[in-house]
Amino acid sequence: MECLQSLPTSLGIPHVTLYSKNQRIQRLANPNNPFRKTTPIHSPLFSNYIFPITPSNLNPSRFSSSSTTVKFAVPENQSSVGVSETDEWAMQDFYTFRKDVEMTMERVTEIRRSSGLEKLQEDLTALENKAADSTLWDNQAKAQETLLALTEVKDKIKMLTDFKSQVEDADMIVKLTEEMDSVDTELVEEAKNTIRNLNKALDSFELTQLLSGPYDKEGAVISITAGAGGTDAQDWADMLLRMYIRWGEKQRYKTRVTEKSMGEEAGIKSATLELEGSYAYGYLSGEKGTHRIVRQSPFNSKGLRQTSFSGVEIMPLLPEDSASVEIPEEDLEISFSRAGGKGGQNVNKIESAVRMVHIPTGVAVRCTEERSQLQNKAKALSRLKAKLLIIALEQRASEIKEIRGDAVKAEWGQQIRNYVFHPYKLVKDVRTGLETSDIASVMDGELEPFIKAYLKFKYSNSR
Amino acid sequence: MILSGFPRFIRCRVSPLSQNLKQPNNYLQTLSHSTHHHGIVSCLSTIPSKPISSSQLQIPLFLREPIYSATVSDLEKWKNWAKTLVYSVGSKFLETDNGPEVNTLYREIQWLLEDVVVEEQRVSTEEKVVKLRTEMDQLYFLWKQRIEKRRPFQYIVGCEHWRDLILCVQEGVLIPRPETAKIVELVQEVVAKDKGLREGLWADLGTGSGALAIAIGKVLGTQGKVIATDLSPIAASVAEFNVKRYDLQDKVEIRQGSWLEPLEDAKGKLAGLVSNPPYIPSDQILGLQAEVGKHEPRLALDGGENGMDDLLHLCEGAASMLKPGGFYAFETNGEKQSKFLVNFMMNHPKSMFQDVRILADFAGIERFVTGFCQ
Repeated sequence: MECLQSLPTSLGIPHVTLYSKNQRIQRLANPNNPFRKTTPIHSPLFSNYIFPITPSNLNPSRFSSSSTTVKFAVPENQSSVGVSETDEWAMQDFYTFRKDVEMTMERVTEIRRSSGLEKLQEDLTALENKAADSTLWDNQAKAQETLLALTEVKDKIKMLTDFKSQVEDADMIVKLTEEMDSVDTELVEEAKNTIRNLNKALDSFELTQLLSGPYDKEGAVISITAGAGGTDAQDWADMLLRMYIRWGEKQRYKTRVTEKSMGEEAGIKSATLELEGSYAYGYLSGEKGTHRIVRQSPFNSKGLRQTSFSGVEIMPLLPEDSASVEIPEEDLEISFSRAGGKGGQNVNKIESAVRMVHIPTGVAVRCTEERSQLQNKAKALSRLKAKLLIIALEQRASEIKEIRGDAVKAEWGQQIRNYVFHPYKLVKDVRTGLETSDIASVMDGELEPFIKAYLKFKYSNSR
Repeated sequence: MILSGFPRFIRCRVSPLSQNLKQPNNYLQTLSHSTHHHGIVSCLSTIPSKPISSSQLQIPLFLREPIYSATVSDLEKWKNWAKTLVYSVGSKFLETDNGPEVNTLYREIQWLLEDVVVEEQRVSTEEKVVKLRTEMDQLYFLWKQRIEKRRPFQYIVGCEHWRDLILCVQEGVLIPRPETAKIVELVQEVVAKDKGLREGLWADLGTGSGALAIAIGKVLGTQGKVIATDLSPIAASVAEFNVKRYDLQDKVEIRQGSWLEPLEDAKGKLAGLVSNPPYIPSDQILGLQAEVGKHEPRLALDGGENGMDDLLHLCEGAASMLKPGGFYAFETNGEKQSKFLVNFMMNHPKSMFQDVRILADFAGIERFVTGFCQ
């Protein structure tokens, strides 16, 4: 599973902290709980308490709804454990572990079922037959493709088999312990480790299932444009830019602001951010749309409450020559920034912006970041292609020609999230309903809960 | 810059016959003697009319060794300072002479850093040290020059990104303009259709940084060659440097001299001839954007009373230089000059041109005159 390995480490498991029902109850009871809705989250607030790395913290029930008894191992517990309580503590620990094994068992069964193991076996047989065919190498490219597919299927089957054998091993230890009626700490510790790692692997596996779009593995280009609301909106666009930069840095993506057009008083009119790294597009694709802010604007002299908007567009970062679409020259309207006045020798301006419009759909891109016109033109074309490919994908059109231009604008402008700073604090995603009052963390790039919630939402809608 | 101090009449007399005036080199060296020991920096800050030594090629920032260093927070500090300067300018430049406005200058800050900082820091660990290609003090100095003296950004960094090329430039050499790139496209079109042109000998007259010569050298076939001329010794050596950087020494030859003079041996043999000669009327030079009027070489801008002196000179020469079927393309100041030139070509008693056309640049200004030799 090559794609699994290439997941950025920071998006791997450490961030995926999941909660069981009981935990949720405890969290809900906590007045400081910023997330009112039940969703896996990772917030710095929580890092204060979840910890001893015992299986109890690894919730296996991402998709199943059954509950487990899970305890928060608060520091007092550890310090107050006396010698006489050790056995009891060990037994409790074992029960927790047993529950985790049961949960993991269910989880593995569910994953194996939903992955279509039988179908995979069939595919494997078919591919093996193909690979054994003596005419295989007649077509080099086809042969490569077949062998690659074969490896992928093999790896996936192996992974699913490993999941099963690992959880069975742990289960064996549970049964053994029950029969012997005493806890072999060493053995249990080892099994706990197995379960912990297994759950990590299951998390990654599920995540890649969510990210299986054709461009999900690519890097991403985020372009932010200030919408209605004047200086307040321009400041809001700048805040969003900062938010995505921080998110990108946390994911250890190579993050680069390639274009930034400053607002007159404050903030930005527009900006383009490139994120290089695996799956950036997959994670961010759901951020596309209009982001709305409500606050007491610092730019409003009367200090009145103001609502502003900013648009976010996400495109995959495709290598310049990789987009395999050809756009006929006559479908493109290309305009260049003009030096003004008489041009030529009379003027020296570094501005070399290129604006490109795909006439049939009205989809437009502008590229200003490169230092020569020719380079801006090449980049604009590549971005335009990426944009059209994504729109085609969303409209389920098989060709650029089939894109319905009228639908493009509406889709791109859809409001997806509200950020209320005043009179109360709340970030709420319009589509998934996920909300949090910890607006500071969100603006600091804590977008994981929203991103994951949307991916799951999209996944369950598409099934 | 170097020759901008020359009175116009001297340059006008650089005619095909006045061989004795072909050596501005000696004259310059005597002149520049006194400024020599001031070193690069002082040369840059001097008023453009003082010539610098032609042998003194400046290495653009992006090609210098990264032997300096600074902390990220130092750089941030510089950036904020530079931005403050920009904001203090606001739209002043734009209003006075159609100069750069805030966003353009802001982008220049970014690009200057791109050329100076070896690896831009992504995760902001404030005390992280990065390598620089110039000293921090110099960065302050350079940006001050940019804003206070309106020194062109391209002279500050020492290069211009033009088409897919990065061309080194310095005071005394015209900064290639994006409009001029169209000539390369036109050449590309004709050589694609005609093998004789593709494999033939081309000339770029008044090459400046060597932009057209290098770009055309790259689109010609294996046999194709370009000879580029420039009167300015600085331009000639900068062009030479650029040719070497693109490893085109075998394809592009730089010859120092006035217009067609260095091409005596190629008379009647040229497959193509291109030029972006000075075409701004003398009386308009003063009103130009400060970056251009105060810093770029007058030699490369001033086209005489109506701006047509050099264009007409080249037109007359082109007929004798081109072989039958040869192609030419000239850049002009716009519609008026283009029409005048076409008229001149068609009505000339010895006219040998055909298929003469006027073509517009990307801004819609009728900028180019092209045609073929009969």
